[in-house]
Amino acid sequence: MNLRLIDWIWHVRGTLPLAPAQSGDDALDRLAPLFGQPGTSYERASLDGAAQELTFTKKDQAAQDKMSVFDGGTLRIEAGADGAVLRYHLISRALLFCFLAPLLFLGIAQLTIVFDPHKNAPTEKAEKTKKADKKDEVVQLNPIDKALGAPAPEKPDKDDEDGGKGGSGKHGKKPATTPAYVFAGIFAALYLIGRILEDRLIRRLFRKTLAGE
Amino acid sequence: MDGIRVGKRLIGTQAPVTIGWENIPRVEGGPVKRAFFTWFQPVALFALLAFWYYAPNSIAKASTAIGIGIGFKVLLLGLEWVNPRHESWRLTWKELATDLFYVGISYTLLRLVDGYIGSDVMVEAIQDKLHWDKANWFTGLPLLVQAFLIAFIFDFGQYWMHRGMHNWYPLWLPHSVHHYITQLNINKGAVGNPVELFLIGLGIGGFFDFVPRAFLLAGAFGMAIGTYQHINVRFNSPRWWRFLFNTTEHHSLHHSQDFEATRSNYAGSFIFIDRMFGTCIDGEAELLGMEGGRRMSIREQMTYPFTEGWKTLKERFGRPRFDDPAAVPAE
Repeated sequence: MNLRLIDWIWHVRGTLPLAPAQSGDDALDRLAPLFGQPGTSYERASLDGAAQELTFTKKDQAAQDKMSVFDGGTLRIEAGADGAVLRYHLISRALLFCFLAPLLFLGIAQLTIVFDPHKNAPTEKAEKTKKADKKDEVVQLNPIDKALGAPAPEKPDKDDEDGGKGGSGKHGKKPATTPAYVFAGIFAALYLIGRILEDRLIRRLFRKTLAGE
Repeated sequence: MDGIRVGKRLIGTQAPVTIGWENIPRVEGGPVKRAFFTWFQPVALFALLAFWYYAPNSIAKASTAIGIGIGFKVLLLGLEWVNPRHESWRLTWKELATDLFYVGISYTLLRLVDGYIGSDVMVEAIQDKLHWDKANWFTGLPLLVQAFLIAFIFDFGQYWMHRGMHNWYPLWLPHSVHHYITQLNINKGAVGNPVELFLIGLGIGGFFDFVPRAFLLAGAFGMAIGTYQHINVRFNSPRWWRFLFNTTEHHSLHHSQDFEATRSNYAGSFIFIDRMFGTCIDGEAELLGMEGGRRMSIREQMTYPFTEGWKTLKERFGRPRFDDPAAVPAE
């Protein structure tokens, strides 16, 4: 399978036109300080013709590094139809991880079903607790709380019914898979946001840096 | 760096810290903004306490508490956006995604593990054994006294567990990962090696959906105080608040790149426990983390305690390799 069909998931590519008078050297000189961050190493090379290339890798990049989401990539100044262009190709493990995270949480949901700790819980025990609960006296409120109007507590035996119905109670029949599904959804949304946002942010950063803003 | 003498200790010899409330910046802006960020913390605490005190039994449940907890965190994320404490702690997409990964693991995988060997099992055992009629002396106390005692006893235990983590190498290994965070944001409390998260019982769940009201009130203390340990918001916390309760200032010092500063402010909610045992330092730090602020990847956070532990074991008990060049002492 051609990896290029799916690698857009974690590869960000784009092109930006240079200003008409801007040389390739000048453009890369301006971009180079972006790679002076801790954990970043880069190399510049002249390719055939007028093309120039900057290759970088990052490790343990700082949280506030403006390119922290990327782990490596190349920036190339090439001749385009309407003058020189910056062509960039950046790789982000964070985006790939975020893309795969929903699968992880769906897997955890399945694990929760398979390894539900209450699946084989003895019902006898639950019944015993129920009986014990029924025998229990209702806890009396302190007179101060009564005077201040706090609601009086009820018998706790309702819990078992709640658990059975809602599925979230300790003695419920259904294992609690909802959080895993919710996080799968959150990460799917986060991926979409990140893929669009980081693409735009890096484009804006390169554009502004090239223009010297 | 000269550092600042606090009692017998020199704080800030390795990384910049600010010591003393008078040196800590205040909220800047108009009168409404300043009033909001002065009164937000006490109002939220008292509103939550009032809610749990008066909520009818039908809504005074753990599931409501979880819902409120999530809503509160979303609100605080908004405040981080509006009034950040430090620009250098701004939440980025990658930081948010990383933090949420740990929150997700706490809510799901750790909860599952807890169901077998962790806090759930202990709680269930306690609930099976504990007959509330035998605890009448306790449940007969005023609700707020019960709630405070529950929160205090829990925090007292957390204090010593946390202090132990900073003083005993086998416990430090899983906790050290949490100290690699380089900024404080609302979900950073969840970031750490799962072994540690399991140890300190961060796995959500545990109690039945029926929870005595006092536990919900105790949870409100944790939520409306402990949450501010990791947050990028500047508050003008009232004097009494910062005397009694843990604040972002205290906890940022605990996460400082300065080693001596990290050996302070261990409590989760009640900083007066640190005051009782002489480990409290009032101040703040902006430069956080370990190894000069190296940000650790999730992969390394997962393996670090084990690889480091293995390295140490090998150094201590492993057979010396004769082909190694002779070790040169540092001094």
